[in-house]
Amino acid sequence: MSAHTLDPNKWVDRYSDYLFNYTIVRVNNREVANDLISETFLAALKSAKYFKGEASERTWLISILKRKIIDHYRRINSRKGKAEVKISYTDDYNEGEWLEEQVADQFDKTAEDEMENNELGLAILECLDSINEKHAEIFKRKTIDGADTEAICNEFNITPSNLWVIIHRARTALAACLEKNWF
Amino acid sequence: MSIKSKFFFIDCSEAAACCNKAQYEEANNFEKARLMLHLLFCKTCRKFSTKNSKLTGLLKKSKIETCPEDTKHQWREQIKKEFAEERT
Repeated sequence: MSAHTLDPNKWVDRYSDYLFNYTIVRVNNREVANDLISETFLAALKSAKYFKGEASERTWLISILKRKIIDHYRRINSRKGKAEVKISYTDDYNEGEWLEEQVADQFDKTAEDEMENNELGLAILECLDSINEKHAEIFKRKTIDGADTEAICNEFNITPSNLWVIIHRARTALAACLEKNWF
Repeated sequence: MSIKSKFFFIDCSEAAACCNKAQYEEANNFEKARLMLHLLFCKTCRKFSTKNSKLTGLLKKSKIETCPEDTKHQWREQIKKEFAEERT
């Protein structure tokens, strides 16, 4: 396999959706996610000279992003003094039966599903990398943003039948890719 | 095939197009009816149709979001600026 190279001007088009979906489930706040991704891009630019080309661009960016997310939690923990863990159970507001109160929330049952769904989302975005960039863009606009056929046709200057052909190819490629990598 | 039967019987590529439109709820009733008719006798398309619906289900389940275009634009500008500075 040829060594990977960096192309910073393409980063946003290629990876921002992936990075966003990766971050949003981990920090659960859009603004924080956007800041972290922005920081990631800047840090990546600064350390571009250390990129050896052993990993793919995406893997490399994700490894930087991971550090940024960890830093983020460190920051908010130290700021609010949350780093110390309080174990004592009884305080003024919480009285009552220990067991009943500590029973897991109903929605916790789906925590694992949620995680799997996020991984699925990332797998889908990764699969979209393998198809023509422009087609992937159109597919995302149509499927994920749910944009109107007409709006997309105007935006990309294509006819509706062009659009459906592109969508068809994208869907077929995506299905094949998911079959290989997900199931 | 006569013109009349062409009206009701569509080939596989047309069926696929109808099937895709149906995934986005953009197929009209006539297209849906023709698709159904085609699926009755075409096993390949039945398979495709099932797969296609499954894919739609997965896409919905994954809850992927795209970043808003203006955020992307900001990042692009930022990278461009920093990149230029790095080089000089």
